[in-house]
Amino acid sequence: MTSDARPPDPVPEDAAEGQVVELPAGSRVTDVAIDELEMIYAFIYSRVGNRADAEDLTQQVAMKAIPRLRQGAPASAVRGYLFATARSVLGGFWSTRLGLSESELHEDLAMAMPQGGYSEESVERVRRILEQLSDNYRRVLELRFLHGYSLKEVAVEMRSTVGAVKVMQLRALRAAAKVRLDG
Amino acid sequence: MGERPENRVDRIVGSLLRGRRLKLRGGDAEEKEAIVMAARLAAARQGPQRMSPAFRQRLVKQLGASPPETWMTRRAALVAGLGVVAGAVGGGLLGRSLDGGGSQTSATAGHVVQPTNGRWIDVGALADFAPGQARMVRAGAVGAFVTRDGDSVSAVSSICSDLPCELWWDASQHALVCPCHNRTFTADGSSIGVYKLRSLDVVQARVLDGRVEVLGA
Repeated sequence: MTSDARPPDPVPEDAAEGQVVELPAGSRVTDVAIDELEMIYAFIYSRVGNRADAEDLTQQVAMKAIPRLRQGAPASAVRGYLFATARSVLGGFWSTRLGLSESELHEDLAMAMPQGGYSEESVERVRRILEQLSDNYRRVLELRFLHGYSLKEVAVEMRSTVGAVKVMQLRALRAAAKVRLDG
Repeated sequence: MGERPENRVDRIVGSLLRGRRLKLRGGDAEEKEAIVMAARLAAARQGPQRMSPAFRQRLVKQLGASPPETWMTRRAALVAGLGVVAGAVGGGLLGRSLDGGGSQTSATAGHVVQPTNGRWIDVGALADFAPGQARMVRAGAVGAFVTRDGDSVSAVSSICSDLPCELWWDASQHALVCPCHNRTFTADGSSIGVYKLRSLDVVQARVLDGRVEVLGA
C-alpha cells in the first residue's frame, strides 16, 4: 500500500517571519538558537502556566533540537524547527500528565503555533476567549485568574458561596475551552 | 475516591495560581479541556515571560557541554516518555541495536532494526515494486519503505529519525517526507536539507523466489 495523500505541513520552512537570514559566518548555531529559545520559552510558558514546567520543557526542546542544527541554517528555519520540537514536547507533556495518548488530545489543547511567533498572541487570545463568555463566566475567570482572587473573595464579590463559585469556575473553564477563534 | 470535578479542577487552579508545577492525578484527564484552559489563563495573568537569567545561563552551560552524540539517549528517553505512536512503532523503534548484522546497509544508513522474535514476512511480489519508488509496507509491527533496485530490494523504517511520526512517499520530490516537521529523506534513508538529521533506520529486506520479505515481528 502506497501512501500518496499529502498530509498538511504544520511547520512551513519559513513559517516564522518569512525572511530567511543566513547566519553570519563564525556565529555558532547554538548562540542563535539560544536567542530563539526565548520565544520557545514564552510559547511553552503560555501553554503550561508555570515556570518550573516551562523551564523543563524548554530544556528538553534545546537538548533535542540544537545538537542537530547545522551552521548555515537560516534563522527562520531554526525557529520553525524549534517550534516543531516544542509542539512535540508539549504534546508529550500533556499526554504524560493526563495519561492520554496524543491522539486523544485535541490538537488545539497545546499544540497550536503562535501566529506572531511571540506570546503576546497568547495573552490576546485569552482576552478574546473571555470576551466570548457569558458575564458570570467571564467575571469568575477574570477575578480568579487575572486578579488572583481567592475563592472566598470571588464569592464575596459575586455574592455567592464558595461551593457555587467552584462549580461556576469549572463550567466557565469548560466553556472557555470550547470557544473557537478565527485565526 | 470520587473527588468532585469542581474540587479536582480547583485544586489544580490553586496550584497554578501559586506558580507551582502541574501535578495531575488519575482521573484528571476527564477535565482535560478545563485544565489546559486553566494553565493558559494562569499564564496570561503573568503576561509574556522571559527566561530567568539563571535558567538561561544553565541552558547555555548545558548546551556548551553537551557532546553532539548524546542526543540519541535523550531522544530515546524522551520518546519513551511521550508514548507517542507507541502502537505504530511497536518494539522495533526503541529496541533497535546499534550494530546490525543486516543487509543492504548504505554508507549513510541509520541503525538496523532488530525486532524481538523477528520473522521474515512476505510483503508482496517483486514485480509489484516499481524500481526506484519507495513503497510502504507493514511487516507486522514494523513499518517500512521498500525500494527495488533491479532484482534486489532495500528498506528503511517508516518512522522519522527525528520526530516519532510516520513518513510518506512524495513521488514528485522522490523523497520520504515527515509530516510533523516537513523534513525529507531519500529513499535509502539519508537526510535531505540543511538539518543534520540522523538517517532512517534500516529494515532488513530480501527477495526470495520472486517475493519480497521484510524482517518484522
